[in-house]
Amino acid sequence: MRKKFISGILGIVVALVLGAIIMLFQGYNPIETYGALFSYSLGGWYPFCTTLRNSVPLILTGFSASIAFASGPVNLGQPGQLLIGALFATVGGMYIHLPAVLEIPILIALALLGGALWSGAAALMHKWFSMDEFITTLMLNMIADLLTYWAISYPFFEKGANSPLTPQIDKAGWLPEFGEFNTNVLVMLLTFVVVWFIYSRLTAGYEWRLTGQNSIFARLGGCNIDKNYMAVMLITGALAGLAGGLVVMAGPHRFVKGLGANYAWDGVMVAMVANNGLFGTILYGLFFSTLQSGALGMELITAVPSEFIQVLQSVIVLVIVAGRGLLDIWMDKSMIKRKARERAA
Amino acid sequence: MDTLIEMKNIVKVFPPNVVALDDVSTDFRKGEIHAIVGENGAGKSTLMKVLYGLEGRNNGEIMLRGQPTHFNDPGEAIANRIGMVHQEILLIPEYTIWQNIILGVEPTNIFGKIDEAKARRTVKEKIEEFQFNLNPDDKVGDISVAARQKVEILKLLYRNVEILILDEPTSVLTPQEIPQLFSELRRLRDSGKTILFISHHLDEVLTLSDRITVMRKGKKIATVEASETNKEDLARMMVGRDVIFLSKRDGKVPGDVVFSVDDLSYIDGNGHKHLEEVNLNVKAGEIVGIAGVEGNGQLALVNCIMGMNHPSHGSITVNGKDLTRAEILERRRYISFVSQDRGKMGAAVKASIADNVMMTHHRLNKKFTRWNGKLLDYRYARQFTDQIEEQFNVSMGSMDAPFKSLSGGNQQKVILGRELLLETPFLLLDQPTRGLDVGSIEYVHDIILNMRSQDRAILMISADLEELFRLSDRILVLHRGKIVADLPTEDTSVEQVGYLMLEGKDKEDAKEIH
Repeated sequence: MRKKFISGILGIVVALVLGAIIMLFQGYNPIETYGALFSYSLGGWYPFCTTLRNSVPLILTGFSASIAFASGPVNLGQPGQLLIGALFATVGGMYIHLPAVLEIPILIALALLGGALWSGAAALMHKWFSMDEFITTLMLNMIADLLTYWAISYPFFEKGANSPLTPQIDKAGWLPEFGEFNTNVLVMLLTFVVVWFIYSRLTAGYEWRLTGQNSIFARLGGCNIDKNYMAVMLITGALAGLAGGLVVMAGPHRFVKGLGANYAWDGVMVAMVANNGLFGTILYGLFFSTLQSGALGMELITAVPSEFIQVLQSVIVLVIVAGRGLLDIWMDKSMIKRKARERAA
Repeated sequence: MDTLIEMKNIVKVFPPNVVALDDVSTDFRKGEIHAIVGENGAGKSTLMKVLYGLEGRNNGEIMLRGQPTHFNDPGEAIANRIGMVHQEILLIPEYTIWQNIILGVEPTNIFGKIDEAKARRTVKEKIEEFQFNLNPDDKVGDISVAARQKVEILKLLYRNVEILILDEPTSVLTPQEIPQLFSELRRLRDSGKTILFISHHLDEVLTLSDRITVMRKGKKIATVEASETNKEDLARMMVGRDVIFLSKRDGKVPGDVVFSVDDLSYIDGNGHKHLEEVNLNVKAGEIVGIAGVEGNGQLALVNCIMGMNHPSHGSITVNGKDLTRAEILERRRYISFVSQDRGKMGAAVKASIADNVMMTHHRLNKKFTRWNGKLLDYRYARQFTDQIEEQFNVSMGSMDAPFKSLSGGNQQKVILGRELLLETPFLLLDQPTRGLDVGSIEYVHDIILNMRSQDRAILMISADLEELFRLSDRILVLHRGKIVADLPTEDTSVEQVGYLMLEGKDKEDAKEIH
């Protein structure tokens, strides 16, 4: 645990230093740039709330990827599952009119269902035709992309709008805001508790983890591999769908073109950096959201383009993932040297 | 005799903290057969790999012909006329013997094409020079394992190697093939080659070698002249105490049949027949051993019993319950299973020790769960892990540490503990002591015998004849997917079983046919 923390902090520091060097090469002032970046993401209540709100879709798709990867199935369909989840929540919000206490849970349930349907399709293809979910989930991303584009351009198009978007959902389905603080963070935290409980306390979660580690061992141990596969696919799809639903309910309150942005792929990246750990996913999700939220301010104040954040993100991923391996190798080497010296003496 | 190689103060540490070689110094002379003996994990192979450039060393010096030497890879070693034959034979089955031998050092004609006639001729000359009794035009895929081993040796001789390292050359051979190998090795020595020979079979070592270096737990214990020592002394040096080669079983009479396999056949998707009408049974309080050269159907038998493969024909029953088509979980109520490959089938090595201990129990033992099996009781799982630690004498730091942090012996104890505490009537043990050190082997054997006295039915597959003779009440021989013999251990000999393993029939039968 401590080792993970050290390697994480070290990785971020090294990446920031590398980023500073790149900026220096391009003639920017790194201190000024980082100052702008962090003051616009963490410097005050308003920027901090924005960072929190933007971290939710990253973290939820991050959970989805973490659980999938740690349990075996290579679900890379978070972008598609997110879009379908968002569409389900939007359509529900357009036609269901209930008080908020009912409306919000129903829309959340619809988002979960939409995501699960989309990943479930891939899971069924795996079950019936032994098609690899690695391929099918990726392909379904494109179908989801075009399907939702069609849906917001035709059947659910807001008449008179000049770009593809839906009408707003019922106000009862808007996630409450307290000043700048959006309650989508609370939904995310609740999800974390549930997911953590399933993964670390339930028999099913135990089987998923062990199957992800060694599926032959789990199978010989009496785990029902097929059933677990299906469950993991459905749950991880539902999590990505939830991310999409919350984007609609916390943000534009309608499905607009380009709604999914890069959330899902960034979420997959967060899961990889966090080594598929749930705690790590929250921490790195917050950090990546900090960078992304600060990017706009950085662009506003300095001449550094906001695209620079993508460079920084990539450097962080590389440094942390590579650093994890390197740290192990170093520790082994120093241990060997010590032992060799002891023996030689 | 001249000293050819001197290894001084060699230290080799494997991460994280396994000291494979602990300040080892020894020397090898020109024109001798020098055996390196020791139990599994004593450091024999590592020492030779360091010499051959396959493993780096963390300390120490190697002198070759009086010069300090260091090889970065086997290619440099071969250039310095040192060659090694590994346990696994690495040849291309589709190529002929001569093609395999010249691979990598092909003689070419002026057009840059392989001079096949010359290559074949040179190989043939080498075969005749060393009287190897091989036909250079035979395909490697068609010849026996013993012949393939000769091809490996010839490959090195073709490269003018002067020092030959053989890593357990007899382990792939049957008892009948060994004398021939030995006479060939002697002939090589007489023609001036130096042979370094890794083994843990004392009889072989005493017959063949001139000098013997004994290793134990990474240390060199002694180098002795073969003529001045005997089996008992060597065994004592190897294990550090007197070992009993005798059976430890008591004269218990087995009970009713618990486990039975009837007319079991298994043909895989490609039409390959792995098992053919196998019949066997194990009674309560009986250990039945299955002997056989690896790859004669052991894997298919294990997979059919465990439900990983579905048999084409026949049935498997435990205590009268037909398990032929049962789900794996259902089988596990009746069958405990210790696999030969801990990392692949027996454990999830990166998961914690406690997580590994819970497997199967989490489904079968109600104490492990609450809420009708939905919620795992991790607290009980920890108690249970403590129980295994104590009962099976496991030395572990923390049960939250990854399984792979345990030593091989402790890993096996944890697996045995988990499986035996399932309290099933039948145990399937697939090479239960593979890769363990002497102390652990003895401990595992005691546990197995203890299970026998508790009236469990035990089926044990092993490649180690000594183990089979020590533990089994009966020995079955598996040959090409068939059970070719069912012998009470008391009425058979190692030689007879060895012959059956190779030929699939008794010596007497073979004579009648000739």
